[in-house]
Amino acid sequence: MPAISCQEISKSYGHYQVLRSVTLTVHEGECFSLFGPNGAGKTTLLKILATLQRPSEGHYEILGMDGLKDKESIRGHLVFLAHGTHLYDDLNAYENLEFSLALRGNSPTVQDMKLALDRVGIGAFVEMKVRNYSAGMKKRLAIARAVLTKPKVLLLDEPFTTLDTAGTKIMREYIRERLSERGAVLMATHDYDKARPITSRAGILRQGSIQEISIDTLKSDDFF
Amino acid sequence: MTFFNVIRWIVWKDLATELRNRETISSMLFFALIVILIFSFSFSMDQQAAREVIAGIIWVAFAFTGIIGLGKSFSTELQNDCLEALQMVPESKGAIYLGKVTANFLFIFIVEILLFPMFIIFFNLNVVEEISLLLLIFFLATVGLSAVGTLFSALTVQIRAREVMLPILLLPLVVPVMIAAVEATKGALSGDPLTMYSQWLELLAIFDVIFTVVSFWMFEFVMDN
Repeated sequence: MPAISCQEISKSYGHYQVLRSVTLTVHEGECFSLFGPNGAGKTTLLKILATLQRPSEGHYEILGMDGLKDKESIRGHLVFLAHGTHLYDDLNAYENLEFSLALRGNSPTVQDMKLALDRVGIGAFVEMKVRNYSAGMKKRLAIARAVLTKPKVLLLDEPFTTLDTAGTKIMREYIRERLSERGAVLMATHDYDKARPITSRAGILRQGSIQEISIDTLKSDDFF
Repeated sequence: MTFFNVIRWIVWKDLATELRNRETISSMLFFALIVILIFSFSFSMDQQAAREVIAGIIWVAFAFTGIIGLGKSFSTELQNDCLEALQMVPESKGAIYLGKVTANFLFIFIVEILLFPMFIIFFNLNVVEEISLLLLIFFLATVGLSAVGTLFSALTVQIRAREVMLPILLLPLVVPVMIAAVEATKGALSGDPLTMYSQWLELLAIFDVIFTVVSFWMFEFVMDN
């Protein structure tokens, strides 16, 4: 059973069709990298799979659960690292972690949170309000939240944006860890060079449809 | 258990962020003070006229002040796309709704408590004996306003002209609450026996229950769409 399975997913905003019959499967322990130009529909596809939007047509399953009927169950097994970091600027790192994990029914210990924050390299800034974080630090805090969540399905939208070299390494290590624990990762990115080392399979989303390609033969300007 | 934890954490988050940035309560207080000042000057020559319309003035100030707070309730969730995180909570959205209603109720009720002494001073009211009844009226009316307002705050948060749309959609719906609140307040301020206006309190309580239950069930649909 694939961890992510979409069948003939289409999505339109008014007359503008963003996705056209997208079919895609991602298995456990696999990282699928989705490339494509701006406006190709990568984020829309991720938002549909994250249960944030409904497809206009088609159907999808996450871990065998119906995406339209079993939303709440799916949400318990899935983490979506989106463009927005889902962090509250007036809370500090601990408070943000405690809050977002509590909404998922988890209650991490201070020690767990400290370890996760140290791992992503912001352990020295835990008392600082997130408002004062740089964009890269916010992204690292979002990774720490995902580390503590240990999802079976990880959806990543431009995961390397705003991250420096060390941050990119942390993100890749985290993805590798999820894969080693049989997690499934679907990543939308422009950053071919950064994505390549962790990619199991790849595809290009162009004009609303996915064309699966070999990551080894892909050149970075293929999708521009 | 998770359901009640979600309520608790939403309330905690809204209160903690408000205590740190004071954006909502300060803007509510500022607006309400302006309203009180304007009305107090308008009626400064005629205290008797002021007494006759004071209940209406109080609820005009409270309702519009409340709308400012309700408008901010979900617009703050747009920061860093936090609204998406709330949508993805693997728990009934009713818990988020009840958490938000509780936080909104607290903001509005606190502002009302802070403002009422201003009404007493500016309009020379003598309310020592009626204070507990007035607090009960404020409580019941604020529950109704928060219950519907929270739903409409979520409904309008993604709309471009949300600051305009929220009062346009919300005020017609809370007219029964406002009428009942004004009539009950008028009765209490006039020193009438409770039996003369208790039907308005009952009406407020009924509206609170109906609005809360209906909004609770509709909130899931609003958040998912």
